[in-house]
Amino acid sequence: MESGVRRWLVNVSLWNPSVDQFASVVSLLPEDEQRTITKYMKFDDRKRALVSRLLQYSIVHEVLGIPYDKIIIHRTLEGKPYLINGIGSPFSNFNFNVSHHGDYVGIASDPLCLVGLDIVSIMIPEQTTEHEFMSNFSSYLTALEWKNIAKTGTSEVKLCEFYRYWCLKEAFVKATGAGLGFGFHRLEFHHKNWTDISVYIDGIESREWKFSLYKIDERHWASIARGLANGADEQFDASLPVAEVGFIQRTVDQLIQSRSHGAQQNSC
Amino acid sequence: MASVAGTAFAVSVRPPRRLQQVSNHLSGLKSVSFTSQRKSFVSIRSAPRFRISCAAKPETLEKVCSIVKKQLALAENALVTGESTFVQLGADSLDTVEVVMGLEEEFGISVEEENAQTIQTVQDAADMIEILLEKKNAA
Repeated sequence: MESGVRRWLVNVSLWNPSVDQFASVVSLLPEDEQRTITKYMKFDDRKRALVSRLLQYSIVHEVLGIPYDKIIIHRTLEGKPYLINGIGSPFSNFNFNVSHHGDYVGIASDPLCLVGLDIVSIMIPEQTTEHEFMSNFSSYLTALEWKNIAKTGTSEVKLCEFYRYWCLKEAFVKATGAGLGFGFHRLEFHHKNWTDISVYIDGIESREWKFSLYKIDERHWASIARGLANGADEQFDASLPVAEVGFIQRTVDQLIQSRSHGAQQNSC
Repeated sequence: MASVAGTAFAVSVRPPRRLQQVSNHLSGLKSVSFTSQRKSFVSIRSAPRFRISCAAKPETLEKVCSIVKKQLALAENALVTGESTFVQLGADSLDTVEVVMGLEEEFGISVEEENAQTIQTVQDAADMIEILLEKKNAA
């Protein structure tokens, strides 16, 4: 039975299309999406933007069964993509979130809870130390979080810890759609060795949000935030499923093929 | 090629209809409602988007463009204008924070976290800097 839950990752460093191949994949998408993709200055960003959109349309098609050419995805003012023409129960709250950083583009969906995904690639700019880099963000983490980071160990470990906190905060603001301007310092993450992760918002523990962290590879981590929308049905409040599903790796070729397969099915 | 018809060019004098139309229109008007053009859909707005009525000076914008190019490792001749969004230039949320920090250092100003996170275009950044510079110079 379709659960509506998906966690997909694509390693974009494995996809190296020619200019023509890239253009032909771009042309599979609706025109306004094509325009947005071509506005990115760097090719790597265009690649990630394209794959992000392929994932969005694929996830909607696979979970909800809507034909590719009927899927309409818009963005909020803050830039969060959402489906305009969803289907009813049991997927009336179906929502998804995409993220990309470094070599990976990912997508997560949920039939009921708001879901946010953030992927981080653990790296620092050249000619900067870990300490210098992290000091840019001193006001974005709380005193307690910085204290926990300081306790850990080498600068590499500290950097990884920093990125985990950042990743979780991003996943949260992306799930809520609050986006830019939320104020990361309002969030404080508590955890037991990065399990049992909970968030305190403005000093108050939130029971409605669950978080998980995944190590994708040596340099990439992903975080998922899942929570109830404001005013969600009370009957679901205590039963937030705790177990998280893992990520499945997809390839760009698979995503493209599933589109043509979907189109063939619809034209029969 | 203009051809002049045989008939005389007659100027017809009619009572001005315009006034009549206007008064009809006015009496037909229902109450006017001003709908907000910016609608927020599924998002929760927690801080107002930083909106300024005056634009930054050209020199400020130019300086901001050059700092942004450096911070985001773009080519010297990369086309960066006020309308460029940080996202299009390849900045993620971490990059945006760093760019703002770079701008703070360069201009000797301080940007609050909430405002920093609402900067979406290069123009937004320049406008914000201009205001902060004015405040600083007025102090």
